[in-house]
Amino acid sequence: MRVVVDFGLCESNGVCAGIAPDVFELGDDDRLAVLTGDLPDGNIDRLTDAARQCPRQAITVVEN
Amino acid sequence: MTTSELVFDPFSPAFYNDPYPIYRRMQDEAPVYYNAEYDFYALTRHADVAPAFKDYETYSSAKGIDLATIKSGELPDPPSVIFMDPPDHRYMRSLVNKVFTPRAMESQRQMVVGTIDRYAAALDPDEFDVVADFSGPFPVDVITQMLGVPEEYRQQVRHWIDEALRREPGNIGMTETGLQAAIENGLMYYNLVQQRRKDPQDDMISGLIAAEVMRENGEKRALDDIEIASFVSLLGGAGAETVTKLIGNAVTIFARHLEQWQEVRDDRSKVAAAVEEVLRFEAPSQYNVRFSMKEVTLHGVTIPAGKPVFLCAGAANRDPEAFTDAGSFDINRDRTEAQNLGFGYGIHSCLGAALARMEGAVALDRLLDLMPGFEVKWDRCKRVEMINVAGWSNVPVRVIR
Repeated sequence: MRVVVDFGLCESNGVCAGIAPDVFELGDDDRLAVLTGDLPDGNIDRLTDAARQCPRQAITVVEN
Repeated sequence: MTTSELVFDPFSPAFYNDPYPIYRRMQDEAPVYYNAEYDFYALTRHADVAPAFKDYETYSSAKGIDLATIKSGELPDPPSVIFMDPPDHRYMRSLVNKVFTPRAMESQRQMVVGTIDRYAAALDPDEFDVVADFSGPFPVDVITQMLGVPEEYRQQVRHWIDEALRREPGNIGMTETGLQAAIENGLMYYNLVQQRRKDPQDDMISGLIAAEVMRENGEKRALDDIEIASFVSLLGGAGAETVTKLIGNAVTIFARHLEQWQEVRDDRSKVAAAVEEVLRFEAPSQYNVRFSMKEVTLHGVTIPAGKPVFLCAGAANRDPEAFTDAGSFDINRDRTEAQNLGFGYGIHSCLGAALARMEGAVALDRLLDLMPGFEVKWDRCKRVEMINVAGWSNVPVRVIR
């Protein structure tokens, strides 16, 4: 599975970084960095939660 | 057993006084509620409201977000960002969204704390009105400082917005004085924009003058004076009205849950969670209205295209299907159960959420210091009768030490 962020929607609220700091990181310049590539399935609950709680609905979890 | 007719009239004293029993019945009896008098629909279940907020293609903002505007078929000219769908919405919002990120808000913390402390210090330590003396004046002061409004106009902005949002029971439109107030408010900003063009300052009005917005054809252009005045008057209103209601609601709720007041007083790390729970339990923004772009069928009811649809976040936040003990105020509740819709959801979700959270937390923290114990003078409390925001204009308290 992997996560996709729509940077046209993202407003750096950082909710995702609070839920899954190992996958999302908000840089000093307010830019969101996302771990790209395939992530272990064990992350599904946290990442789904991050996607759901994003106030901007900018995150999509893509299952393989 | 109740057999009374189910009436959701967002311009009625019954709604202003306590919408929650009405929402509860709507969720059970009419999840797609239709109001024949005003010809609108309303969604109240969390499972319906949250997806609808996200689905801007079905539920458009481009015809207005209040009943009177949608029914009139006339938008204010120029339309503000809350009356836009993508892509225009994205272009306009991107002009200001970096100013309001949680990180950017941290750089405003000193100003926010200083402003709140100034109003807190002026309170009578034994008896004061939480809204009229404190949560009314400080939020408008904070947002207008950010915008660049001179001090002599800052409180006036609040009185203008109060008047413009006020609705007489049974009347969906602005009052005559409300219209006048909206005009004066807009004019003040318009004059300010013209001043800033000549003499730019380090404020948001000057920032918007310098900004360029992308148009659909891919060209960039600057905003004109009226567009900027309209934009900042929206931000001024949104920043003024909502936190005012949030703090007033918080005190009236905690008055009925004094054990939780004590709990937060003893452990200030719970202040942020308390603010979130107040937002869930009694959000200042109870609903937004959208316009159905196509026919939608939900729970066996068909909403035709072209109808106003109320998305009742205030109801969804108390939906027992979404939250355990939804009707109970609990600062320790599991916040991951469902999305708190207090700040809306999706593309139009509250731009100022991080500012509101900061103001809310700082203000609550000060009140916890000022009021070890307290009692609300219920007989002198007064609710506002406004569109889109719910709460109190007066919450007098007596401090108990």
